[in-house]
Amino acid sequence: MTWLRTPPDAKPDAQAATPEGRSDAAVDVQDVTPEGHRDSVVDIQDVTPEGHRDAAADMQDVTPEGHRDAAATPRPTGLSLGVVGWLRWGWRQLTSMRTALVLLFLLAAGSVPGSLLPQDGTNPSSVAQYYSSHPVLARILGDLGLFNVFGAPWFAAIYILLFTSLVGCVLPRTLRLVGSARQPPPRAPGNLSRLPFAVSYATPLAPETALESAAKALSAKRFRLRTGPGWVAAEKGYLREVGNLLFHMALLGLLVSIGLGGLFGYKADRLLVTGTSFANTVTALDEFHPGRLVGPDNLQPFTVTLDHFSASYVTSGALVGQPAAFNARIRYSASPGDSMHSYDLAVNHPLIVDGARVFLIGHGYAPEFRITDGTGRVIFDGAVPFVPVETTGLVSEGAVKVPDASPKGLGFVGVFLPSAIDVGGKLESYFPAPNNPMVSLVSYAGNLGMNSGPSQSVYSLDTAGLHELAVSPRPLAIGQSIKLPNGLGTLTYTGYRQWVSLAITYDPGQTAALWSGIAVLAGLLLSFMVRRRRVFVRASTDETGNTIVDLGGLTRSDAAGGFEDEFAGLATEISGLHQASTDASQSPGPDLEAPDRTDRTDREGSGPSHREGSGPSDPEQSGPPDPEQSAGE
Amino acid sequence: MLRLPYFASRVVGAAVRSPRRAAVGALVAAAVVLGAAACDAGATAQDTAVGNGSSFVTGSYGTTVFRSGARPKAPDVAGTTLTGSKFRLSTDRGSVVVMNFWGSWCTPCREEAPALGTLARNFAGTDVRFVGVDIRDDPASAEAFMRTFRIGYPSLNDPSDLVALDFNGTVPPAGIPTTLVIDRSGRIAARIVGQASYSGLKALIKQVKAERG
Repeated sequence: MTWLRTPPDAKPDAQAATPEGRSDAAVDVQDVTPEGHRDSVVDIQDVTPEGHRDAAADMQDVTPEGHRDAAATPRPTGLSLGVVGWLRWGWRQLTSMRTALVLLFLLAAGSVPGSLLPQDGTNPSSVAQYYSSHPVLARILGDLGLFNVFGAPWFAAIYILLFTSLVGCVLPRTLRLVGSARQPPPRAPGNLSRLPFAVSYATPLAPETALESAAKALSAKRFRLRTGPGWVAAEKGYLREVGNLLFHMALLGLLVSIGLGGLFGYKADRLLVTGTSFANTVTALDEFHPGRLVGPDNLQPFTVTLDHFSASYVTSGALVGQPAAFNARIRYSASPGDSMHSYDLAVNHPLIVDGARVFLIGHGYAPEFRITDGTGRVIFDGAVPFVPVETTGLVSEGAVKVPDASPKGLGFVGVFLPSAIDVGGKLESYFPAPNNPMVSLVSYAGNLGMNSGPSQSVYSLDTAGLHELAVSPRPLAIGQSIKLPNGLGTLTYTGYRQWVSLAITYDPGQTAALWSGIAVLAGLLLSFMVRRRRVFVRASTDETGNTIVDLGGLTRSDAAGGFEDEFAGLATEISGLHQASTDASQSPGPDLEAPDRTDRTDREGSGPSHREGSGPSDPEQSGPPDPEQSAGE
Repeated sequence: MLRLPYFASRVVGAAVRSPRRAAVGALVAAAVVLGAAACDAGATAQDTAVGNGSSFVTGSYGTTVFRSGARPKAPDVAGTTLTGSKFRLSTDRGSVVVMNFWGSWCTPCREEAPALGTLARNFAGTDVRFVGVDIRDDPASAEAFMRTFRIGYPSLNDPSDLVALDFNGTVPPAGIPTTLVIDRSGRIAARIVGQASYSGLKALIKQVKAERG
């Protein structure tokens, strides 16, 4: 975006409250005194209203409307504004670029405590700890919502204001752009030789005829025309405004669709062991990040059963052990009672059900244990997901908790080794596939601390109330058991299963956001690549009775590339028309370097007929009289 | 968020294989906390996942009481109990039903269990029925839990969350534990998300029990 790129020559006009009126007035003056020799720099700028109006339009691109308005609006004095006036003033302030930037900064600053202080949503036990170690400070911070920053009302206020500010800024500009796209070309300035591109020649045609044929030629090139006494103004490149418009509307669309996603979407995670099922309900999810307006009853009621998971790995070469393919065979139903469908989940091949997407994002092993306690009863029999801690051999860590064992609670922590190998007395896993699946556990007995206090991770053991038991053997192969001392019980490693972790996302604004994003880009490209360019033609009779045709061209100073050729081509074509349609003996049009007007020798602007890019700020460039000026006579 | 480095390296290409990344991944993964995290539904829309996994948002916890005119109808939940007998909610129509969603791995469930066990015994012989819904558990652990806390009432074995799913569109359990008080006409009179207190639950039961209808 041209956000920070402000054409230097835009400033004078940006300050002018009514650039349109001002330039028109200037043109009028020029009309009255066509021989404006004493053009000062400022006058030149007035003569070329187009550049400035475009530049001003650019300014609008760069700086939201509201900013300028805010700058231009006089400060309200006392109560004279009235309620409506104050509201309007407030709205202008809110939708100004400055306010948007301040809000953006506040948003960033507001999230700082969210990363410095423990947060209720993610780490409640640390919050509790903070309360116990700094009771007074914690209460103050808590009242300020700093332990739940992203849910705090003040944080919501910031982003709602930011959103309003952006929408309030973009919407009126969109409307203004519609107006700009429908605008006719401006009137032709009086002195076309002042324009960056200018050419002048004599023609035997009458001025009206010359203008008419020029207009026809420009019209054939799909220029938009406006005519007046003795002049034709033509403009092309309105697609730029269309691009601008597209960009702004798409930006609005993007904001709205992101807002939609934030309000009605959610993200969730779930770990699923093969052979088991889950339903998309809050109680079944490991993580749940709902949008603002999502409640537990808004989740799509699908169920997923994981029948089989397979992973294949590269078995040789430099990439040995790297995963080659994953496939999770699932069955799902869209809602309770619906028929079950089969589906193969793979990486980047999500299941889409009822608008929600289910991605396969991870996998691992869940060793299975059967544990009996001191009374001889089976008190645990199931698979325990272990979490991979490295990728080469997929060594995984986990914990088994049996708080209700009798006479003492039992706990085990350890590692699962898919392809166990003894490397100098140290157990490692040489490959991620289960070639030699073993577990190595440390056993504990005592109080697992699960009957009160903060919730624990299921992957680790709080050993504060436990004592380690001396047991052997370690490691265990499938089918092997460890007998705990003092008749505390036995643990048998009965096998393993695989698990997958699934990410569930629902974002109702996603498709709209995608299309809006594409449209933003398209609009941006259009507005960058298409230039507004204007061509003016003036035809008049000089004192010798000759018809003098002036052609002037103008485009945005910062994107002139290509216009030079276009203008030259147009000039060639038009002058060719003017010559060819009359006297064949006259030198034909293409010789553009053959202008003609004696009365222009004293003009500053009669230098080289093609003046390229001589900015208004550079009047010195107008050189000596054209040496070829009389060639055409 | 269980974003294991495994798939990350798969998606990006085979380039990423640092053990440090793996360790970070494991840390992140550790936050998933199969059960503990599920204990705490209703987390806010934050994306930070690393923690001890015991995340819960106090704001989403609490008791909701529905006026008698505005009570959602409870679905006719049916299933098999941990001891293998059949259960259907509608057969308890005419009684006040206290339905508790729990898991033996869930700390707040263990914390509230004594209160529930005591209340069930105190209301024994009246028309108040207690039923549990055991979520994401293995039956052996669940039975051990019931022995530990002397829970005498039956619990549905619901490893696939189908009971909770049945409540979709009414007042679904918004976390574990959740306790519902269902009135005599089979409508949900109150919901307690999070740990139920003895006195709070007792008051609710008495209130619904006192209704005639």
